Amino acid sequence: MSEENKYWHILEEFEPIKDERLPKGREEVTSPTSRRNFLKVLGLGTASAAFIASCKRPAEKAIPYFIKPEEITPGKAAYYASSYFNQNEFCNVLVKVRDNRPIKLEPNPKSVVTPQGTSGRVQASVLDVYNVNRYQHPQKSGESIDWETADGEIVSQLRQLANEGQPVILLTPTIISPTTKKLIGDFAETFGAEWQQYDAIPMDGFREANQRTFGVNALPEYRFDKADCIVSVGCDFLGTWLSPVEFSGQYAKRRDLFNGDGNLNKHYQIEAGMSLTGSNADVRIRAERSDYGRILAYLYNQLATQKGAPAIDVPTPPQEITTKLDEVVADLAASEGKSLVVCGDNNPDYQVIVNGINQLLGNIENTIQFERTYNHFRGSEKSLETLVNSNPGAVIIWDVNPVYNHPKSEKIKAAIEKAPLSVAISALPDETTELCQYVLPSPGYLECWDDAEYKTGVVSILQPTLHKLFDARQAQESLLAWMGDESSWLDTIKNNWASTYFPQQNEQSDTERFWVETLKKGELVLETTPESITFNPDEIGNSLNTINTENQVEGFTIELVENVNIGTGHGPLNPWLQEVPDPVTRIAWDNYASISPAVARQEDIKNGDVIQLGNLTIPAFVQPGQADKTISIAVGYGRVNGIPEKLITGVNAYPLAKVENGSRQFAVPGFTITKTGDFEQMALVQGHQSMEGRPIVRESTYDKWKEDPASGNEMHEEIKHHHTTLYKKHEYKGHKWGMAIDLNKCTGCSACVLACNTENNIPVVGKKEVRRAHEMQWIRIDRYYNGDVENPEVARQPVMCQHCDNAPCENVCPVAATNHSSEGLNQMAYNRCIGTRYCNNNCPYKVRRFNWMDYTGADAIPNNRYDPANLTMDLSRMRHNPDVTVRAKGVIEKCSFCVQRIQEKKLTAKNEGRQLEDGELQPACQQACPSDAIVFGDMNDPNSKVSKMMKDPRNYHLLEELHTLPSVGYLTKIRNKS
Amino acid sequence: MSTIYYLKKSWVKLPFKIFIFSFLISFLVSPFAYSETGGSVIDGGFSDDEVKRGKRFFMGLLPFEREHESCVSCHYLTTPDTMNWNPSAMDIALKYAQLDSAAFRNSVMAPTGAVMSASHQNFDIGDEDLQMVKVYLDHLAVNGPAPEKPSINRLIIFLLLGIVLTWALLDLIIFKKVKLKFIPILIFIGAFGYQLVMIYEETVKLGRSQDYQPDQPIKFSHQVHVTENQIDCMYCHHTATESKTANIPSTNLCMNCHIVVREGSRSGRFEIDKLVQAHEEERSIEWVRIHQLPDHVFFSHAQHVGAGKLDCAQCHGEVEQMHIVRQEADLSMGWCLDCHRETNVDFLGNDYYKTYEKFHKEIKAGIRDSVTAADIGANDCAKCHY
Repeated sequence: MSEENKYWHILEEFEPIKDERLPKGREEVTSPTSRRNFLKVLGLGTASAAFIASCKRPAEKAIPYFIKPEEITPGKAAYYASSYFNQNEFCNVLVKVRDNRPIKLEPNPKSVVTPQGTSGRVQASVLDVYNVNRYQHPQKSGESIDWETADGEIVSQLRQLANEGQPVILLTPTIISPTTKKLIGDFAETFGAEWQQYDAIPMDGFREANQRTFGVNALPEYRFDKADCIVSVGCDFLGTWLSPVEFSGQYAKRRDLFNGDGNLNKHYQIEAGMSLTGSNADVRIRAERSDYGRILAYLYNQLATQKGAPAIDVPTPPQEITTKLDEVVADLAASEGKSLVVCGDNNPDYQVIVNGINQLLGNIENTIQFERTYNHFRGSEKSLETLVNSNPGAVIIWDVNPVYNHPKSEKIKAAIEKAPLSVAISALPDETTELCQYVLPSPGYLECWDDAEYKTGVVSILQPTLHKLFDARQAQESLLAWMGDESSWLDTIKNNWASTYFPQQNEQSDTERFWVETLKKGELVLETTPESITFNPDEIGNSLNTINTENQVEGFTIELVENVNIGTGHGPLNPWLQEVPDPVTRIAWDNYASISPAVARQEDIKNGDVIQLGNLTIPAFVQPGQADKTISIAVGYGRVNGIPEKLITGVNAYPLAKVENGSRQFAVPGFTITKTGDFEQMALVQGHQSMEGRPIVRESTYDKWKEDPASGNEMHEEIKHHHTTLYKKHEYKGHKWGMAIDLNKCTGCSACVLACNTENNIPVVGKKEVRRAHEMQWIRIDRYYNGDVENPEVARQPVMCQHCDNAPCENVCPVAATNHSSEGLNQMAYNRCIGTRYCNNNCPYKVRRFNWMDYTGADAIPNNRYDPANLTMDLSRMRHNPDVTVRAKGVIEKCSFCVQRIQEKKLTAKNEGRQLEDGELQPACQQACPSDAIVFGDMNDPNSKVSKMMKDPRNYHLLEELHTLPSVGYLTKIRNKS
Repeated sequence: MSTIYYLKKSWVKLPFKIFIFSFLISFLVSPFAYSETGGSVIDGGFSDDEVKRGKRFFMGLLPFEREHESCVSCHYLTTPDTMNWNPSAMDIALKYAQLDSAAFRNSVMAPTGAVMSASHQNFDIGDEDLQMVKVYLDHLAVNGPAPEKPSINRLIIFLLLGIVLTWALLDLIIFKKVKLKFIPILIFIGAFGYQLVMIYEETVKLGRSQDYQPDQPIKFSHQVHVTENQIDCMYCHHTATESKTANIPSTNLCMNCHIVVREGSRSGRFEIDKLVQAHEEERSIEWVRIHQLPDHVFFSHAQHVGAGKLDCAQCHGEVEQMHIVRQEADLSMGWCLDCHRETNVDFLGNDYYKTYEKFHKEIKAGIRDSVTAADIGANDCAKCHY
């Protein structure tokens, strides 16, 4: 490792003094039967028990189907094409269904929009279906009623209100379903209702800016794969912005130095808080949130001067930034038509400037295309203004929660309470449904029929993969019923498809056949014509003038951001998502106020010190790379209503947002920090993570790589020469499984962690246990900082069991519960493990996890159960993958390379009498990775991709100097910087 | 191990002796907990005496001079070890519990099926007698069958050994009546040793159930279906080659044949009627599961029957000769591993095995002529445990 890459990790000076602040001693599960007593009696009682056993065995029943459905083979999974859409995120998926239960979501490789990978939220969404808190019956004022009564009462009131001419408001999230849009249109007409769409975090500023500059109210396609130079001003496009799964795939294509043409993109990130995208940037420029406007104006003016376009003087950003920005300008100018400038701020004036810059650079119709525009984020501030100001007679709220996630919560609450009729259509209780008279339960998306046109001209179908669990009814079915339409919702969709889409294609000549074939594929791609756009240069001047008049407010600016996994916090609190640590801060289960180290030093704040910001009381976290005058707080936490008490976590930051000039702003200036003197210990999973000077993440620069592909990895060859052993080498006669991870492509989004959770029945341990470092996830994504404390470079590394050929864990197991397989797997037999944890202590990678308590309910002793998230209940247990053992207390577990999938695919090949193909076998993490950073395969096959990657000069093994001979290889990270 | 969990919390706190004592008491008392009559209140206004009379008639104690066999000689009250094709008393009781005496009389005296007609030939039973039999059967339907007496031979031996060794110990330490000290020592070692052997044997058997042969809700005979009627295993258990489980046929699959076949050559109509009834009521038959592996074992039929082309009988025994299915193998891990070591895979026939180049070279060189399942890693832990 070169001198410049001296990694440091932790800001120890900001760590609380542990001895004083941490509660002492272990919190044990209290149980009337202690483990020791139990063992004593167990030994003596075995003989007696044996006699009972030999007398009679309890009979277990084997109940077959009455009529076996043709498409279901018990014990074998079926896959159905469907789609995931959760208000702001879309993904085409294949739903894996075992014995009528959806248990896993996998990417649909035939999809046009998201062929590669999913997000973590998609993976975790399967758990929401089995949420124990779901509404099970329609309710009126908290009392269960039946559907007929509810329908009757609602319809008669709606008719009466319509006759009286009182406004009826239907408030929905952005609807991307074409059939639903038509249905809502019909409904609005029938009852004189006004339909409003609402987004928890809106993008109406983007649409407004595009209207102003290009004359179209549309969100264009961004082609990150076509951009040689990406400049992002506070835009987290890899984590939370617009369509992260799609963008991650595009971005990763240009970070690929193994398959690609070796043409690495250059990514500048100018931002205040450290975002996932910022931590992946080649060059991250730290800037205050309040300077975004000026920075964009500066970029525009510099480029305009170069191009001979008119520039308008605005105050320039601080000197230390402008010198860096000049470099950005030079790079942008050098890659005309092949660059992309994006900004994450919803301010329409900022977006107008961004459009101006992209227009100057000739990016429009190259890296920004108006062909398949995005159909989501249709909500605007107007939607709630109508609700608050028009004294509505009836409010129908469909799966949105403005009472929780809008700053004018109180006014909305009053408007709903005042309305003579209020109806909530929702699967789960939340802050808004609890105010409504009628609550109509809706099923989860895996129980629904629907269609979705996420991008114009790409229409997908959602199909149910599970029989409705409760007495729930889709919102669309309710609208149909209220309109007196007796046709089923499925028929409505099919009719719409037959009339709208069937004539637009010529592959199928029969409507039913067309429907079935589309259903199988999951989506239909239609011909589209790009929106015609005309650039209006005057708007740039207007916006520059607006930015010119921006006042600089004293004090700290709070920026509200989305956590990569939590998002807007809509829907049920998903324990899987909560437990996955944030990829930047590595904190789970909580939100916090990120402050810069300089401010922390100045205000004498340590990690976990609770601070007061306006009305918000929140623990502080010292984040390297944070701008000094900006405090970042994640929204989506602090949900209370409808959340089990033990799961309530974090603070609701939405009330800090402010409505200004008809749009919601998530950056609010003018705050001061006050220390409250309280302390809250956060669930930080990476406490002491210093690499201690060891070459754990190896990296180099693009220029050096071009000269020598092994640059930064010189020690790999050197260490190879030192490998020597007394032991006999393992011989792998057939397969030898291996995995290669391209650190240059991994963004750290954590989709792999969640996919692994779902696939391998990994338990949730809760905040308390995470604080005690008892988290169970089999993959952890280590994050390391490098360089300047104020603005460090970030490196990430997913670490799972390395399946060493010389595994230190195998030698120390007293009962041979962990040993080496003939295919190179380090296998773990749970039923053999006695829980000595010797293997855990001897593992240099610390990838083994111990079940300290019975988190799953698999233990024989009920008193051992520790269930922090209601996941051991019968309903939530339906999520389990039946092909993986649910582990009980006292055993070690770890990554198995998804051995159940290996077995399954080998068997398929055997049954078909052929060899396994390379790439056919994908572990859950590889499959879910939107960046294609993980490659798995047979290392005995010299032509497999993984073998080739292992021979790449960039390949190295973690702690390879220990001669553990891991089966996991990493490819060095290459930064495109000078 | 499952039985350990039956231990009650209160026992756990008590010392060992009390624990064993209470266990024994509860065990010994339990056979006497059942009483002959369930209660004196009987539906339909019939007295205990009438039930008793019906029972005596059923058992063949009344009338003294009868020409026909007793009912119980065909319709057993308890399950016999061998297949009895006739419906048991309990089965009949349950079937006719909801029907009136006329229907009962009609089916006894004027049977429709060939098997029943043959055995019920020349019946001459008075209406009153038959009425009493029906009363008895109704009583049986409510109160359940007579309990099975548990076999406690091994327990008695174990306890006797306990007494002997206690005596030997007491004599050795306190009474000292036996002059030659080696005798009680020898007795103690012998008795205790044998007890240990018994504990070991019983513990090993924990969770295993070789020879398990439970009663099924329908007297379904594999011998009749497979041997006599030549139905292939895969007709009913058709997912065995493609799925982990070899499915149990659904009711509608049975009805493929039984829509026509309504009477068995041995069982007559009674058993098939159960199936027909289930079909009419649109419900599944609740069979008793015989072969069961622990949850941490992932066994795949597709692997063994599909890819491995094993014969069903290799693990399940000669099911085609069984009237009542019995678990043939002990399904222990040792049994699996032994078979893996001896069984060859279709190494040259299946292209999948081309991956194993080394073995191909060895075969060519004449070093080996076959490859066993264990050679290609079938005995790795993670082949079944994951």
